[in-house]
Amino acid sequence: MSAVATPARQVTGGISARTVNRIVIYGLLALFALFYLMPLFVMLVTSFKTMDEIQNGNMLALPQAPTFEPWIKAWSEVCSGLTCVGMKGYFWNSIKMVVPAVIISTLLGALNGYVLTKWRFRGATLVFALMLFACFIPFQSVLLPMATILGRFGRFGATLQNATGFSFGLGNSTVNLVFVHVVYGLGFTTLFFRNYYEAFPTELIKAAQVDGASFFQIFRRIMLPNSLPIIVVTVIYQFTNIWNDFLFASAYAGSGDVMPMTVALNNVVNTSTGVIEYNVNMAAAMIAALPTLLVYVVAGRYFVRGLMAGAVKG
Amino acid sequence: MAFLEIDGLKKRFGSVEILKGIDVDLEKGGFLVLVGPSGCGKSTLLNTIAGLETITEGEIRVDGRTINDLHPSKRDIAMVFQSYALYPNMTVAGNISFGMEMRGVPAVERQKAIDKVAKVLQIGHLLQRKPSQLSGGQRQRVAMGRALVRDPKLFLFDEPLSNLDAKLRVDMRIEIKRLHATTGTTIVYVTHDQIEAMTLATKIAVMRDGEVQQFGTPAEIYNNPTNLFVADFMGSPAMNLVPATIGGNGNALSVVLQRDAREPISLPLADAPAGLSAFQGKPVIFGVRPEALTDPEGAERNASNIATADCHIEVIEPAGSDTFAVTNLGGKAVVARLRADANIQPGTVTPLAFNLTKAVFFDPATENRIV
Repeated sequence: MSAVATPARQVTGGISARTVNRIVIYGLLALFALFYLMPLFVMLVTSFKTMDEIQNGNMLALPQAPTFEPWIKAWSEVCSGLTCVGMKGYFWNSIKMVVPAVIISTLLGALNGYVLTKWRFRGATLVFALMLFACFIPFQSVLLPMATILGRFGRFGATLQNATGFSFGLGNSTVNLVFVHVVYGLGFTTLFFRNYYEAFPTELIKAAQVDGASFFQIFRRIMLPNSLPIIVVTVIYQFTNIWNDFLFASAYAGSGDVMPMTVALNNVVNTSTGVIEYNVNMAAAMIAALPTLLVYVVAGRYFVRGLMAGAVKG
Repeated sequence: MAFLEIDGLKKRFGSVEILKGIDVDLEKGGFLVLVGPSGCGKSTLLNTIAGLETITEGEIRVDGRTINDLHPSKRDIAMVFQSYALYPNMTVAGNISFGMEMRGVPAVERQKAIDKVAKVLQIGHLLQRKPSQLSGGQRQRVAMGRALVRDPKLFLFDEPLSNLDAKLRVDMRIEIKRLHATTGTTIVYVTHDQIEAMTLATKIAVMRDGEVQQFGTPAEIYNNPTNLFVADFMGSPAMNLVPATIGGNGNALSVVLQRDAREPISLPLADAPAGLSAFQGKPVIFGVRPEALTDPEGAERNASNIATADCHIEVIEPAGSDTFAVTNLGGKAVVARLRADANIQPGTVTPLAFNLTKAVFFDPATENRIV
């Protein structure tokens, strides 16, 4: 720091080293921020331009005559492969998959963390170590085994369908993806909650026991209401991961009208017939990114707080 | 038959024995304090009574009923925890009524019970607050309220005052004592603070390394410690424990205390304990509490056996209510408690009166009291 500051003082005479440091730091930060925001900016302005303007104008220029046409088209008309019904169906596919997957994996993670810290059993540490190990398994390595399992689910679902007239969701692509994401997310959610509950005062559980609360009553009335920061962290983490997932989505629900948003977006952008409608593609990509942005904006300040709690006390 | 009876209680974690056979009992309406240094097993003992720890061997009975294997909520006990353990997400009223809610008490009765307890503890204005909005003393009160509302057979307190500052601790101590006097409940109380033990208890169990060292009334513990550990642990300032030898001939025994560069003090013992004659010419530990070692004018008038000896005063500590003088006997600093206005100067030689009626002797080998 002084290497920067000393010559600066000699040149300017009046400005202190501290001020110069500030200028350098904020200057660099602004530069990096600009660098990161540039693609977002280009996407956003392009999505509001007409095709004429895109073909003849500057990529960075603001739209001359802003239009919502590309957004409307992306939402309800754009072609994904051969079907031209817009992104809306796929958007709801993603929502229907993400919301249950996030809720189930978060709840199970909380339950795991609760048992691993407050109802310690013989071998609890080993179980936790194994669950932690699940965080390091690469997605690709479970693709084939998971496909086999999902195939069995499908056959079992068909049997149930024949026997009872109802498949209980087995074999349904959305249910399959929920299952995959819950299994894959458990390692992370358990890690988050275990570290948070490790620092959770055990006397509270003892007090609740003396008060006569049962295992699940303690979980529901004492643990969960005091877990807001870590619930937010887990929800953001899981929501972002599952929403953005492309590999599992394309492997197990890669075609037809069951595709999640990510796969559909890929198909839209990769369509090779006719003129490439950049404005519509950009609008579709923005639609795909909006839910995660929204989750960050709404819950972001808890995110940092929760990460800190886990990091310092865990 | 006592109200709370603990027989041969043992607790093992793997091969480590935490409690090594505890025998304690308490009459109805009694106040039992478990006291000892950290790691002595006092909190574990309390947790076994509460049912939060299982026991390996032995039996715990409350009011004639064996409660060994009962769930904590079925033991008819209430517990106040060191950290108060108030549920952060509930209001004060919610905290107090949580137990009743779990037991399915109707809302109207819950409200009645809350109001009654709030009145006793004067926390009526706090009922709608969250624990984070309360001061330490108020939290303590709420924690006691949560216990009181159950109207249990047995109250358990786990170091309830150790998180409070010194002044508040004294206030709450008095409040607990008042509560005990007015409600007549039976209490088991864990602390490492021997002053709390002395002031609150009707019975004290001094513990060390998973064993009860001595079990008795505060006066018994204070005046007749059974071993060196109890003598040293209880009392503030601590009892002076001085290496000495027993001298004298025939039945007239005396205790001989060595001094630096001066000839030893020999104090005649008029009514020495019977066992002491076997130690003639042998080393013992001579124990005398600071208040039994004072200036001759301040000595107890009616004590039968007072011996005076000149001592070299090294340090004076005026504490306001008393003046403490430090001298050196047998190679150890010895504290004498004098009247506040005692005319005494450091560096001088002053006569001190030893109240030998209150003196105790220990065998240096076994650390047990010589009786």
